[in-house]
This record gives sequence, structure tokens and C-alpha cells, in this order.
Amino acid sequence: MSWRWFHQWGSPRWFYERAGRWQLVCGWLALILLVVGSLWGLGFAPVDYQQGNSYRIIYLHVPVAFLAQAMYAAMAVCAVVLFVWKMKLADVAMQAIAVTGLAFTVLSLVSGAVWGKPTWGTYWVWDARLTSMLILGFLYLGLIGLRAAIQDPDQAGKACGILVLVGVVNLPIIKYSVEWWNTLHQPASLKLTEKPTMPASMWMPLLVNILGYYIAAAYLVLGSMRAIVIGRERRASWVKELVGRA
Amino acid sequence: MSIEKRMLARELKLAAARPGDIFKPMWFLMLVISMVPLALSPDSVLLADIGSAMIWVATLLALLLNTEHLFQSDFSDGVLEQWLLLFLDRPLAWLVGLKLIVHWLFHVVPLICITPIAGLMLSVPTDVLIALLMTLVVATPALTCFSGLGAALTLGSSRSGILGVLVMMPLFVPVVILAAGVLIRATDGSEILPLMALLGAFSLVAATLVPIAVSAAIRLNIGGSN
Repeated sequence: MSWRWFHQWGSPRWFYERAGRWQLVCGWLALILLVVGSLWGLGFAPVDYQQGNSYRIIYLHVPVAFLAQAMYAAMAVCAVVLFVWKMKLADVAMQAIAVTGLAFTVLSLVSGAVWGKPTWGTYWVWDARLTSMLILGFLYLGLIGLRAAIQDPDQAGKACGILVLVGVVNLPIIKYSVEWWNTLHQPASLKLTEKPTMPASMWMPLLVNILGYYIAAAYLVLGSMRAIVIGRERRASWVKELVGRA
Repeated sequence: MSIEKRMLARELKLAAARPGDIFKPMWFLMLVISMVPLALSPDSVLLADIGSAMIWVATLLALLLNTEHLFQSDFSDGVLEQWLLLFLDRPLAWLVGLKLIVHWLFHVVPLICITPIAGLMLSVPTDVLIALLMTLVVATPALTCFSGLGAALTLGSSRSGILGVLVMMPLFVPVVILAAGVLIRATDGSEILPLMALLGAFSLVAATLVPIAVSAAIRLNIGGSN
């Protein structure tokens, strides 16, 4: 068996070209899913008997909150790949995911605040999930700051990798300790292991949107990974050719 | 003389040569504590309520203040490089752990020693004060390790400022929550041992594992890109 499929990931040029195609597929797929899911959720899903129409923000809030957490885990996987196989692309992915993950964290905090006003009567409470999301945001911010402070990109990548791995061990502890400290948030309405607590007409569009946002996140991450690759390889001849052609 | 003894002797000499490094964080702690009644109210009932939490936060800040540059001078005068070159029979994580223990003894324990004075000034009741001292003794090893990691990660960058602190502070959350839980229970007069045990467990795990990460970060800054 040839190892080509593995080694080609070491080539920035191969990745740049391939990722462009994947991005196109992801972009269209995400657009279709998000349009369908959002129209379905906002226009056709039934009204909640307690929260009225205000609950409809879950079609944004839940997917971005899922992603904000999933992206940290994805970053940890990249850090392991970076340390075990010394794959530079994993570092590029880490850099791209940190920024996108922070954006999703902020989005979930803001959408949560907007939802909190009509349902809890306040934009912000020191509830467990809000607090752990805020801490997650600070962790992302720390990663971005650390990378910006270290000039050599390889060294910055490894320092970030160490921080991500320490963070990923700590995240569950932070989550449980904060939960034990104070909880007010409604329990999760979608769990992989249990039947959802809402009717199918409500969670079906949510599922479509979650899938849509995941693919949209892949689109965003691929896009910024391509930009980072171009930036780091700016002295390589294929980049000069590419820029010259454009 | 063994490496460990030599390290200890050197750290002792350094601490004696720079007493200001030990004294300044204590000074800072007392200043923060004197700001509390000025900013809030001199009412002793109110102060007794929030006093222990305030002292905890102030101690945390003071600890961060003196751990921020933990490895800086050893890095710039080449001592860390010598560790890597000379002490090949010892894992770097072990040496780092020793350094952290010594730092805790000389720079954190003095901080803990003056918290009772701060407690008296904020009229914290005696039983809460004892619980406060216990939480500080148990929790500060974990805090020292984490802030040491922050210091090690930002070693190579001259313009990092307080970045090491900013990066590490989110990881303090479990420690602060558990310690605050102990203090609340001490105020109620209920059992504090279970939470104290959890806090101790967290501190022990941090003290065992974090030095490994710190040594990786130091290696990274010395070895450059390999």
C-alpha cells in the first residue's frame, strides 16, 4: 500500500488546491441546509406554549453553542496530530479553528443574551452554562494572544498546542465545577442518548440547522486555513505564480 | 552534593539577594485589601461577609504578580540551557517541579502568612479565617503550577506583557469555585472536609502533571524549532 494519501497532507500546495474544491462543496451544502432549516424553523415550526415565538432563537443559539465546544475538541485533535506526526497543516488548522471558535463562542453568548431577556428577564445571569461558555471564550482568546506574541510560527504553533492540550484536560473539570456551583439553564433539549424533550416538528429543523452550521464551520475553517497557508508559503514559487496569475 | 541540594542552595541565595521579590507581592496584597473598605464601606458586618472572598482574590492576584517572571532570569542568563545540557540524568520535568516547589516555599508561603492580618482587618470570623488559610495552603500549589506554565509559554516573546497571566487565569476556575465552596460552608458552620479533599486532589494532580507541560514549554523556547 502506498503512503501517498498520508504524505500529500504535507504539501501546502496540494492542500491549497484541494481545499478550494472542498470549500465550494461545503459552501453550497451549508447554504442550502441553512436556508431550509432556518425557514422551516422560523416560519413553519409550531409556537412554544411557554416561550411563544422567542424560543425560535434556538435555531441559531444551539448550533453555534454546539460548535463553540466541538471546535475546541477539534483543536485538541489537531494538537495531538501536530505533536505525534509533526504535521504542519495541523498547526494551520489550530490557528484557523481558534479564531472561528472564538467567533462562534461570542455568537452563542450574544444570542443567549438576546434570548435571556424575554425568558429570564435579564441579558446575563451567572448561570453554569453561560459561565463555562465565557471561560471557553477566554481560553480561545488566550490561544490567539499567545500565537500573536510569539514570532516564529513553528514555535508559536507548539506553544499553542501545549496550551490546547492542558486546556482540553481542564475543560471538563471547569464545566462540572461550574455546573455544581450554580445552575439555572434549562436542561439540554437534544441529547444523543435520549429522546428529545421537544416534538419532532421542532427538532427536525434544528437538526437540519445543526448540520448546516457544522458544514458552514468547515467552510469557514477551510477558507482561513487556505489564507494562512498562502501567508506562510508566501516565498514559495507556487504562491508567487498563483499571485502573478491573478 | 546532589543536584537537588545545589538547586535549593542557589534558590536560597537568590531569594536572600532579592528580598524585594518576596516583599512586593505582600505589599500589593495589603494595598488591595485596604482598598476594599474604601471602595465598599467600612461597615464591619458587610466586610466580614465578603472579606474571605476578597482576601482569596487578592492573594490570587499577588501570586500571579510574582509568578509571572518565574523563569525569566534563569532563561536570559542561560541557567535553563545548562539544566538541559548538564543534568541529563534527571528529567527536565523533575527540575521544573523542584523549582516550582522552591518558588512556592519562598514566594507563596509568605503571602499566605500575612493573610490572617488581612482577615483581622476585614473582620473575618476566626473559624472562617482558619478555613481560608487551609484552602490557600491546599490550593496554591495548583495555582503556582498553572501560572508557572503561563510564564514558561511566554518566555521567548519579549512583548508578551501579562499575557501569561491572561492565558492561564481561565484554568483557575475549578480551584476558585472549590475554595469558595469551602469558605461558604465554613461560614455556615457545616462540614468542609469533602470539598477540601477535592481541592487537595485537584492540586495534587496539577502538581504532578503540569510540570511536564512546563518542561515541554521550556524545551520549546530553548531548542527553538526542534
